[in-house]
Amino acid sequence: MNSLLSSHTWQQPQSFNRRQFLRGLGACIALPAFGSLAPLKALAGTSPAALATTASGAPLRTAFIYFPNGAIPAAWWPEGEEANFQLNHTLKPLERFRQRLQILSGLDHRNAMAGPDGGGDHARANGTFLTGVRVKKSATDIRAAISIDQVIARHVGRLTRFPSLELTCDPGRNAGSCDSGYSCAYQYNLAWSSPTTPMAPEANPRQVFERLFGAGEPKQRAEDLKRRRQQERSILDCVLQDARQMQGRLSSPDRDKLDQYLTGVRDVETRIQRAETLGDGKDPRCEAPSGIPPTYAEHIQIMFDMLVLAFQTDSTRVATLLLAHDGSNRSFTDIGVPEGHHELSHHFQDPEKIRKVAEIDLWYVKQLARFLEKMDQTRDADGQSLLHNSMLVYGGGNADGNAHTHVNLPIILAGAGGGTLTPGRYLKFGSQPASNLFLSLADRMGLTGLERFGDSTARLTQV
Amino acid sequence: MPMRLPIYVLACLAPVLAAAGPAQGAADFHKHIRPLLETYCFDCHADGVNKGNVAFDEFASDQAAVDNRDLWLRAFKMLRAGLMPPAKKPHPSTHERAQVLHWIKRDVFAIDPANPNPGRVTLRRLNRVEYRNTIHDLLGVDFDALSEFPPDDTGFGFDNIGQVLTLPPMLLEKYLTAADEIMTKVQENWTHPGGHEHFFPRATPTDDAARREYARQLLEAFAGKAFRRPVEPDTLERLVNLAEATYRQPGKTFEAGVAEAMIAVLASPHFLFHEEAAEPANPRQHYAFVDQFSLASRLSYFLWSSMPDDELLHLAASGSLRKDLATQVERMLKDPRSDRLVRNFTGQWLRGRDIETVPSEARFILAREEKASADFEPNRRRLRELRDKNKDQLTQPEREELSRLRAEFRRRLEERVPGELTGELRRAMRRETEMVFSFVLHQDRPLLELLDSDYTFLNEPLARQYGLTNVLGPEMRLVRLPPGSPRGGVLTEGTVLVTTSNPTRTSPVKRGAFILENILGTPVPPPPPNLPPLEDAAKGLTNHTPTLRETLALHRQNSLCASCHNRMDPLGLAFENFNALGMWRTTEFQQPLDTAGQLITGESFTNPNELKQLLLKDHAGDFYRTLTEKFLTYALGRGLEYYDVETVDQIVARIQKSGGRSSALLAGIIESAPFEKIQNPSVPTGLGKEESHSP
Repeated sequence: MNSLLSSHTWQQPQSFNRRQFLRGLGACIALPAFGSLAPLKALAGTSPAALATTASGAPLRTAFIYFPNGAIPAAWWPEGEEANFQLNHTLKPLERFRQRLQILSGLDHRNAMAGPDGGGDHARANGTFLTGVRVKKSATDIRAAISIDQVIARHVGRLTRFPSLELTCDPGRNAGSCDSGYSCAYQYNLAWSSPTTPMAPEANPRQVFERLFGAGEPKQRAEDLKRRRQQERSILDCVLQDARQMQGRLSSPDRDKLDQYLTGVRDVETRIQRAETLGDGKDPRCEAPSGIPPTYAEHIQIMFDMLVLAFQTDSTRVATLLLAHDGSNRSFTDIGVPEGHHELSHHFQDPEKIRKVAEIDLWYVKQLARFLEKMDQTRDADGQSLLHNSMLVYGGGNADGNAHTHVNLPIILAGAGGGTLTPGRYLKFGSQPASNLFLSLADRMGLTGLERFGDSTARLTQV
Repeated sequence: MPMRLPIYVLACLAPVLAAAGPAQGAADFHKHIRPLLETYCFDCHADGVNKGNVAFDEFASDQAAVDNRDLWLRAFKMLRAGLMPPAKKPHPSTHERAQVLHWIKRDVFAIDPANPNPGRVTLRRLNRVEYRNTIHDLLGVDFDALSEFPPDDTGFGFDNIGQVLTLPPMLLEKYLTAADEIMTKVQENWTHPGGHEHFFPRATPTDDAARREYARQLLEAFAGKAFRRPVEPDTLERLVNLAEATYRQPGKTFEAGVAEAMIAVLASPHFLFHEEAAEPANPRQHYAFVDQFSLASRLSYFLWSSMPDDELLHLAASGSLRKDLATQVERMLKDPRSDRLVRNFTGQWLRGRDIETVPSEARFILAREEKASADFEPNRRRLRELRDKNKDQLTQPEREELSRLRAEFRRRLEERVPGELTGELRRAMRRETEMVFSFVLHQDRPLLELLDSDYTFLNEPLARQYGLTNVLGPEMRLVRLPPGSPRGGVLTEGTVLVTTSNPTRTSPVKRGAFILENILGTPVPPPPPNLPPLEDAAKGLTNHTPTLRETLALHRQNSLCASCHNRMDPLGLAFENFNALGMWRTTEFQQPLDTAGQLITGESFTNPNELKQLLLKDHAGDFYRTLTEKFLTYALGRGLEYYDVETVDQIVARIQKSGGRSSALLAGIIESAPFEKIQNPSVPTGLGKEESHSP
């Protein structure tokens, strides 16, 4: 199906076996992924709260993964609490990783509630998830806030070739309008670099790969990156002056649009500089993926693979991945659910529909489990697993898809944050803003002076 | 520009309303409008009653009434669509109605019919469709922007809205990569016979200065096309410098240098944005004509979704495009590039873009119409039960049962279902929608044929889907429908029927909402945030699977739901004879389908054909207006504002006068103020003029 795999020997070449893929990925990159450990340790020794760095000197990463339409609460939440808990139906696939993750209950996004804005819970669920704010109800005048991943990226981004990575498995858009008078931008973007600039995510794994490692055959890629950098530099000089000239003639709403262009130019320039100081990423020495795979499950897994690769090669330390936009009406015939996910999520207490939605929730969790397995099996520079040196948030901005609630959101925090988190627990926070969690993650990423984020009221000290 | 006032506006220009002005507006409100509101509206919107949060007796003063633009915009739309007053209440006379509408337009919206506000289009970038077409027409290279670039956000139903289109940093990176890839292909083409001469008409001079001059000529011509207007001297200078810096490097050719500068052209904001300028105008005028290069681009991106061709650019350069407009529009419509208008407009208005990917489960859709085999559900339950058991604990007979059930279900899944939406069928549906629209547009047919016609475009698979047997072969062609056929018109096209369905069943609600929004122009507001549960009401229906009609009837018992569902449901239920695969059917769950209903405006019908006739007879005006609004939005690249009601009214009047021809719609849009004009940049306080303008 895709060429990342074909460069290796497989026991069952016909079937797309994830376990083998994992091995393949490990095999196609030399470990450790970057440099040697010694300088890293030296770096870590300089400051106890080093940016995005673990105590052992390895990179500390964070990723935010969004799944749509909430989860059936009764099947999601475990029994028990703290270290003594039994996973329920939906989270069963995570049993093997229970010591490496925390299940967090009692986190809310009250800014996603209807309030004065009426319908549009899916747009708000998505738009509020990483921003923590009430997004403006408008199809044209979009206004959210900088998202937590971008706040972190602003601080730690200079350490890596890419300040952050935005990925999606939901490239589609229906013609016409989105949810209830909200711009589609809220539903299809998780990351926002400013209140008016969503960070469009990449859906094509080939393009993610080529952006990270260059295009062409493995041996040509470094050369390709270098050539492109040189070319971009001279071209940017030229167009930057065009843009400045144009800007003088424009009135304010138009100038904002051109500002986005200028921001893009500056971002590329910064990236070029960083690549020149930090050097190129270690090439994984396998062929690039060929494009978006035919099935959704494969698409999700290959995007997770891109995350693993990006983290492993320390190309970035911050990432977001949208599995599907909130309100997604995808059908899951393979697991006996031909109806649309969104349609079903308004189950009106019909037990059969509830069962089917729970099956979909479970399906998504299985995808997560495969990702965690890869993260767990990939060694980092300090000998720990990538999972150990990460903080991975898996969740959504809708709690109960039937009632469109935004309190007690289904959120899992996987990874040990390089030893700063205490996984293996089911924590109940009662009712606190999910933004509190984000603030605590930002602390661990080494941000200082961030007093508030979104609607935060405090830090989540227990995680 | 010819201006034709709608008949009722002329009728209303009574002496009392002749002299307009801020004070006059308030006075007229007091003297003429308020009494009408008292008679027809106060029952529900005064004396402490404020249905829909509308009260007409709570203004602090008459002037405060005039100033409440949002309220009057809502009132204007409701009154014009005949939704208010409600069907059962006394209605104003035609004259009274026109009087109120006219007062709103002139005194609240401050519209001068002789000089409407053209509005403001936010600087918009090329969307990915326009990018692809522009690259194709400029360089002859097919660049797959649809898979290389992220989807463009849509607003007001379209993906070319300046305000909505953003340029995230990732897209800029992609523009750079794309320009590089495109120029790699172009340089390849230069190595083919004729390719080189086509771009480089003469041999490269050897002398440095002459070479530089040659590069300048080539780049001036190329950038002028790419920017859709003459390139500025210092931009050209930079491009030439870039080319020279490259071709002077050891091992680099002259061509490689020019190509490098061409990459910069493709990455320039002059290429990526629709840059517009105004004709010089008297600073005392609020609005100016767009300059002729802007006009050329407005025309070409509207009719071709691409850049102007040489002829348009030459006419713009010589300043004669505006006077040659009608001829040019005619020429552009005849050009095959106008198919892109058809494809992009129907792709969004009628959802043609979604038909190829919308999830559809034929097996489950058809199961609603067949007598399901009695053991299907029990077998499925048993399979699931066995599958969920621990494998090691299964007994031998259980194992055998499991593999037997598995095999049976696998076989069932592998069976082809007749009517299943294959890629071929989906493409045929899309083509049908496009070809019908194209036929109406290109043959100047009556626009009402989009609602009902005795023809459509089919190939064999699609004809079979529609139950027609006399169409053979894979090619799409014009087919005359048999008398009494339920087909004909967009509402019974597969595209619309399927994209307004759920994966396993029809959705009368979605279909109704589609018609309200896209045909009648009276969209329902989004559903309330706290959906009331259905299950209590559904309890009495345990003896059989409730039909959608029954379920929806239960839903409407809740008054919160009723106000919108009373409008959506009858429209959608009328089309229940068409299943979620676009096929005709007469029963569901072994019960005959009941498609009768009544519109919120009072008219009754019993089947989809009768509903179509009702739409033609009583709602042609609504349809003209809706189509005009959609087309105008698409043509301008912006959402319509309150002041655009005048432009829309003028176009609708023009359509009606022409007997409903598509040419009147097109000419009406192209000759409208918002298409031809722009805020006058030489007005010193030009900003926000549309907000503060008063006659």
